[in-house]
Amino acid sequence: MNTRSTTGSRAGWLGLCLLVALLGLFIPKVLTDNFYLGLVINGMLLGAAAVGIGFLMHQCGLVMFGVAAFIGLPAYLLGLGTSQLGLGLNSAVTLALLGSTLIAAAIGALVVRARPLPFAMLTLAFAQMLKSISTLQVMRPLTGGDDGLTMTFNGSFLGVTQAQLAKAASFWPVAWLGLCAVLAIAWLATHSRFGQVLRATQANEERMRFSGFDTYWPRLLAFTLASFMVSVAGVLMALNSAFASPELLDFATGGNALVAMLVGGASQVAGPLLGALLYTWGQDAFGATGHLELLTGIAVVVVLSAFPKGAMGFVFQVWRRLRAARRGSDAAR
Amino acid sequence: LASPSWPTRWRWPALLTILASGLALIFGLRDVMNFAHGALYMLGAYLGFSGQQGAQLLGRADDRAAAAGGWWASVFELAVLRPLQKRSHMDVALVTFGLALIIGPAVHKIWGTVPLSVEAPAVLAGSIQLLGTQYPVYRLFLIAVGFGTCLALAAWLKYTRTGMYTRAVSQQPHVARMMGVNTDRLSLLVVCLGTGFAGLAGVLAGPYLSVDPGMGATILISCLIVVVVGGLGSIGGAIAAAVVYGFIQVIGTVLFPSVAVLAPYLLLFIVLLWRPQGLGRGRVS
Repeated sequence: MNTRSTTGSRAGWLGLCLLVALLGLFIPKVLTDNFYLGLVINGMLLGAAAVGIGFLMHQCGLVMFGVAAFIGLPAYLLGLGTSQLGLGLNSAVTLALLGSTLIAAAIGALVVRARPLPFAMLTLAFAQMLKSISTLQVMRPLTGGDDGLTMTFNGSFLGVTQAQLAKAASFWPVAWLGLCAVLAIAWLATHSRFGQVLRATQANEERMRFSGFDTYWPRLLAFTLASFMVSVAGVLMALNSAFASPELLDFATGGNALVAMLVGGASQVAGPLLGALLYTWGQDAFGATGHLELLTGIAVVVVLSAFPKGAMGFVFQVWRRLRAARRGSDAAR
Repeated sequence: LASPSWPTRWRWPALLTILASGLALIFGLRDVMNFAHGALYMLGAYLGFSGQQGAQLLGRADDRAAAAGGWWASVFELAVLRPLQKRSHMDVALVTFGLALIIGPAVHKIWGTVPLSVEAPAVLAGSIQLLGTQYPVYRLFLIAVGFGTCLALAAWLKYTRTGMYTRAVSQQPHVARMMGVNTDRLSLLVVCLGTGFAGLAGVLAGPYLSVDPGMGATILISCLIVVVVGGLGSIGGAIAAAVVYGFIQVIGTVLFPSVAVLAPYLLLFIVLLWRPQGLGRGRVS
């Protein structure tokens, strides 16, 4: 953090962020094309999940391969809450977020001890396990098996009804505020003492331990927090589509978020969001040519090999170099 | 396991063993979780199909798959793994994931998306009387080749100098390099071998499973679990884990058909919580 920043400029930044968050609510007034608005929403939802895993990767060095678990799980919980328990939509959303986060904490308690690569595999296995469970014959009455679970919501979510949630323009405020909340959580956690402890632990765990820091609980908390952010994305996707299917739990869903995160670069909180927007735009452009997978594959290989720090990292690098060059010429004068 | 249908039970572990040992080899040398392994296996199966159409001989198909595999493996090692060796595991793993995305549609373009069936070659097509029961020859052949390949690999690792170097690099890359092992040359060989194993498994699987575009993705997760359970960097561990994994799946399907699909994941969780480093003696970190 900049040590020279005063309370005044900090308040200014906060005001600017709030202003952007408020102005963002009116984007549908400017971007009236429903198709592109829907595309941006898809990018934002993917971005919320990518911000979650980017946070975990940058702070702890742990990559959650099974992102899909915490996208699909809250979606199914939302569906079960409304169809089986007959909850109102507000309580069902609370249940989905809470349930998913609690399960994440339980799984995290087991897996954050593992080294990075086994950790990645364990989370992937958890996602695959959930996928298998959702398609089990015994679970069919609850989850709908391969056909998926179509949801009929009771009541409205903070005053937004099911019909409105399905439309891009009226769904926008919900998605936008959800995304802002996720970004705010990630930013605050990164710039707090908690974030510092996490980064120090990642750099040298042994040293942290003999300096008297507990290294297990912060990591578990980070995992739970990241899963919560991904769950927010999952709930928003389910609210928008009113549908949960085993595809949500597939590796490919998680793969989208992972690629988006790496394309954007995780070293800045908002990097994964930029990556997700680029990724969604790319998927649309590639899909139009009919060679979606092929072009995605090529793009992934090229971008990951050429931009190690992602798009955001690249932008920052260029900016820093320009600033350094300007300072250099100032000093020469 | 000794029931009349034992070849049915043994062939899946046999196939998995070949694939997983290939994956473990590549991981050991290059520290890379190769997400393209499943795609290579699929490519092997399709090349096997084409080879058979041309020649009706498995030998010919094997040749072509091996040649294509070897060519591809060299490109993979020289153009992808070597330039990226300083990057993080995850970056390289996702690059291989991207490669898998490229291979999939390429295969669709060449062979179409309809599942194909491959006949076992005439020599191996019939069935054979063994201890009073009829067995299809191809299943026995599959089992023999599967475990035979792994025995050969184990012997190579244990008794040759190159094998010793491979084990050394897998366990302690830095020390091995300091002692004068040329890791670049070695990894070219080993990546070819690992990729070749994926192709071989594909060719062998052709007559047993149907050849379809989704076959790579389904088997990849199994292989990844096997390699992690076996202990990262431990090739022997991977072979052992593949056998255990295969049987747990097969026995699970017989005893608890409704929840058998969950068995592999439970295996992974139990093993990693009990022994975080995996079953085998893997990398010293």
